[in-house]
Amino acid sequence: VIRHVEGTGILHRIHPLTAFGLAVSISTSVFVAPPPLGPVAVLAGTVILAVVSRLPSALGRTVVVSVPFWGFLLLIHGLLRHDPGRAVVIGSRVSTVILVFAAVVTAVQPARLVDALAALRAPFSVGYVFSATLLVVPRLRDRARAISEAQQCRGLRVAGSPLGRIRAVVPLTVPLVLSALSEVDERAVALATRGVGGRAVRTVLHPPNAGGLDVAMGILGVGILVGSFFWRVG
Amino acid sequence: LALVPLAVGINLAMGQIVSLLALPVYLDTVGTVLVAALAGPWAALATGLVSQLILGLFVNSVLLAFLLVQLLVAVYAGVMCCHFRVFRSAPRAGGSGLVLGILAASASWPISLLVFGGVTSPGVTLVTAVLGGLGLPLRWAVYVASLATDIVDKTATFLVVYAVLSALPGRLAGRFPAAARARGVAG
Repeated sequence: VIRHVEGTGILHRIHPLTAFGLAVSISTSVFVAPPPLGPVAVLAGTVILAVVSRLPSALGRTVVVSVPFWGFLLLIHGLLRHDPGRAVVIGSRVSTVILVFAAVVTAVQPARLVDALAALRAPFSVGYVFSATLLVVPRLRDRARAISEAQQCRGLRVAGSPLGRIRAVVPLTVPLVLSALSEVDERAVALATRGVGGRAVRTVLHPPNAGGLDVAMGILGVGILVGSFFWRVG
Repeated sequence: LALVPLAVGINLAMGQIVSLLALPVYLDTVGTVLVAALAGPWAALATGLVSQLILGLFVNSVLLAFLLVQLLVAVYAGVMCCHFRVFRSAPRAGGSGLVLGILAASASWPISLLVFGGVTSPGVTLVTAVLGGLGLPLRWAVYVASLATDIVDKTATFLVVYAVLSALPGRLAGRFPAAARARGVAG
């Protein structure tokens, strides 16, 4: 799971929604730009953006995810179908999408994104589901690990024959799911006591502000998209 | 509202169990199908949407392309739980999962082919490469590989949810009236 990393780069300083808007714009552009050069150029630009934003972890993550993907692309399109150019186009597109979202998610603090949504008067449920999920996921993963260790202590075998491993699914899954379901009541009461479902409008203590850098990044995002379109049709 | 984050957490935590057991399935829709059985199709739809957005943003953005498949799973599971009591017995649950596997593969293979050139998860792609190497056209190789994986995955998902619902203590099951309908123990 990609985690937020503190920093002072460009993507760290802009408004969370500007950052996600830029990611959507770049992801769209890489499919609009004419192949084979367009996707490669957009990928190169995205790498530069990640470097300038000082996000080495996003670059590393992209390399880890992209290398096997490129390997399979070259196998299927390069070796089997004798069309390595297509492998480069598809690989550039996918690596760009992976990199730009990894960079934005690394740079944007989830709490700031939730505040930005609340400041826009988005329904409370949107921000709550998003932030609560981000808190629940690592906890349930830890619990899954603890359950698997406990069950193995009781003699459950998680290695060996396929049939034995299939049989192990239920003893590992049922305790995890039932423990999660037992939390639902507690959460429902907590939400009710905090006035969820009422008509009062919630306010944000420190709403993220947009400044000059956001305008510049907005122009960059629109420019890349429009440029890719005219490159394609021209 | 309280159930959705937990169900998404289950979807993501299942990946850890599957990888521990080294099984050729994902089981990343167990939470979505479970919510369909416990709270109906709308809650399942919300779970599917949030689950795929979180997976896409925080795990691998490539998965965002398969958002429609996750929504299809939610709608199908919701309708089946509401109207066909799919969790009344294990064969019924398994059969419903099998049909969903065919539907999910039919929805996901054009995405795999057109957006990713037939390359998705390593296991599925290996099957695609082998079939391609045997001379099958790429589109059919991708479809057959997706079909094989999705049928096993979705059948297993429905059977796991059946096992969970069967183990649900009466007191907890009482909190979710829709669960009784999905299990065929109430009108």
